[in-house]
Amino acid sequence: MPSSSPASDPDASASESPPDAAPPPSADAAPAADSSATLGTVREPQRLHPLTLLLRVGASLPALVIILLPTLQNPSSENALSVVLGLLYGLVALPAIVMQYLRFSYRITPKQIVIQKGVLNRKNRSIPIERVQNIQIEQNLLARLLGVAKVNIETAGSSGTEGSLEYVGVDAAHEIRQAVRSFQHRTAEAPAPAEDTDDTHRDTLYTMNLRRVLLSGAFRFSLFYLALIFSALELIDPELIVERVLRSEGRIEQVTDLMTAYPALAILGSVGTAVVLGWISGILVHVSRYYGFRLWLDDDKLRKRHGLFTVTEGTVPLGKVQALILRTNPLMRAFGWYGLEVQTVGTDVNEQGHRVIAPFVQYDDLLPLAQRIRSFDLPDQFRSVSPLTIRRRFFRYSVVLGLALAPLIYFWPVTWWHLGGVALPWWGLVLVPGLLGWAVLQYRHHGYEQRDDGLYVRRGVLSRHLWVLPTEKFHVFAATASLFQRRLGLKTLYVDTAGAASFAYPEVIDLPAAEADALLDTLYHRFKTLYRTRIEAETGDADTRLSPDARPRLPVEHTDARVSAPSSPPTNEP
Amino acid sequence: MEASSPPAAVSAAPPDDDRIRSLDASIQAVWRIKLAGLSLFLLLPVLFYDLTFLFSPDPWLPFGVLSGTGLVVGTAFTLLWPRLRYRSWGFALWPEELYREHGVITHVRTVVPLRRIQHVDVSQDLLEREFALGRLVVHTAGSRSSDVVIPGLPLPEAERIRDEIKRFILEDPLLEDPV
Repeated sequence: MPSSSPASDPDASASESPPDAAPPPSADAAPAADSSATLGTVREPQRLHPLTLLLRVGASLPALVIILLPTLQNPSSENALSVVLGLLYGLVALPAIVMQYLRFSYRITPKQIVIQKGVLNRKNRSIPIERVQNIQIEQNLLARLLGVAKVNIETAGSSGTEGSLEYVGVDAAHEIRQAVRSFQHRTAEAPAPAEDTDDTHRDTLYTMNLRRVLLSGAFRFSLFYLALIFSALELIDPELIVERVLRSEGRIEQVTDLMTAYPALAILGSVGTAVVLGWISGILVHVSRYYGFRLWLDDDKLRKRHGLFTVTEGTVPLGKVQALILRTNPLMRAFGWYGLEVQTVGTDVNEQGHRVIAPFVQYDDLLPLAQRIRSFDLPDQFRSVSPLTIRRRFFRYSVVLGLALAPLIYFWPVTWWHLGGVALPWWGLVLVPGLLGWAVLQYRHHGYEQRDDGLYVRRGVLSRHLWVLPTEKFHVFAATASLFQRRLGLKTLYVDTAGAASFAYPEVIDLPAAEADALLDTLYHRFKTLYRTRIEAETGDADTRLSPDARPRLPVEHTDARVSAPSSPPTNEP
Repeated sequence: MEASSPPAAVSAAPPDDDRIRSLDASIQAVWRIKLAGLSLFLLLPVLFYDLTFLFSPDPWLPFGVLSGTGLVVGTAFTLLWPRLRYRSWGFALWPEELYREHGVITHVRTVVPLRRIQHVDVSQDLLEREFALGRLVVHTAGSRSSDVVIPGLPLPEAERIRDEIKRFILEDPLLEDPV
């Protein structure tokens, strides 16, 4: 919607300001006459919290530092340019921040959330209340100290946050969420739970104490954070530190001698250090993210809250859960630990549309917890895909290995290592049997099962996923066969669910072609039957939508084009 | 409009009168023009390479071999590929679903329940407008294949299908959310 529509919120039309005018001051605006007392203040255009100014100026300081870097490094020299730039910054950036603040206003009406912003380019965004999937309140360390919060408004069908209020007071944030939820309840004609606040943790499903968070972090080894650490170290020149530490104890010669004498030891040592550092950084990141994890059920909504420095709160309506994902890895599996995620449509960019519901939970607790979110019937046995998948995977991995080794072999200098008379990369071919073993493992860990209530897919050796896809949430059905798959008579079945893109999808890879087609038909038939039954239950009649005579006509004229219109009533369908 | 060689029957048995249809044959011309442009674009550096080595004392290959091969391959590809692609395409609008199959190297069969469609567009690029073709773009909330595209429909046909789908969505008796 390009502009705010007075028609949809009649009681706000009195205070409706033309898009160019500055929004009226918020605090002293009188609540509309017919609005309820608690929610009335939110209906008027509101400004952000004044401390936003401070936070934004703070956020822009790094730019200033970069501009003034030459001057800061040697203050004696007269570096006129950066001083001028600094002045320009002061003259441009600071007024811009103030103007942005003044021209930003938000307003919540029973129908929509209206956000007006922009200095040169006025933007007027209306988000219909019923489309709001989730209101997320986020506080980083600074925001917590200042008592403000960032409010993210998420809707389905948009790739990311639809609207963001950065920052509002903590009370205002909760008030906004409360207001939106009560308006949503009102449209659904359910009693509005007006008084439930965050403090009433009605039904706690899962909590993590510090011990468990630490343990959980210990299992999540990730080189990613290590890479981050190293890239950060690039900036502060670690050699200086190392040299200082070692020299102070007079050991630098010992270490260098040792390293030149035993290069293998040096390599092992660095790898070992990297592993330990990666492990520790993984734990630290995990603690800062999941400290004080708490998941509770609030009516028909899952809510969670976690974080050490940045406290994140999230809400997942149970009805919007598209799929359940049970994750583990071999190490966690050995000790019986699992992680539970749900796929939702309110696309949270940070979690790729997947929300962690329980980061670390024992198998015995996992199933009851997952059942609370969505009842399902986990099969004991999974069906395997075709064993031909081993052949296909082995072939593919070998080709990849060959392609990786070929340039190495070609360009390997004569003066470098030649073990047993051949260039070192040739020895990479030793890995080929390992690839076969890997393919077999992939086959063993891939399985599927279909039930009336959904499709269950299990896949992965190192990162193991088990997807629970409920029939009512099936979205798009696809069967694909690549060139090589067709040679072996195989197909890949994929049932899509609503959500954002991710790294792993619940594909059933390399089913026998006939089986894949049959499975697709079975699943689609189930989906169709489910919705037909629902329609019959709702209207007391079969779906008559498709008889061409009963349809109301849209005001579009296409008389010549309806030659081959499918005109069969749905009863023809099997 | 009717298929010269309708794609093989599938097991999702459609009603008899809703058989799988082909795209409009003129989409092949559109694809050919686009591929010809692409081939020319790729041929230019090869030709340039050939010309730079025209006067070199010991050329790696005799003049014209590289660009000649490029020209032949490009022409063959431009002529054959659209036909293969066209043959692999099939679609149908059934009472409750949109069916599509396509792909020369990787065959893909897709079933999109009309219930899951968020919105529908008909779009045209410059070339398609010349040929009076429309491209039906069906948006779903899916995580991977969220846009289902059917190119090369005669524009009125594309608009008719769009309206059929709109009608289905508008008249949904269920009052629940689409996702």
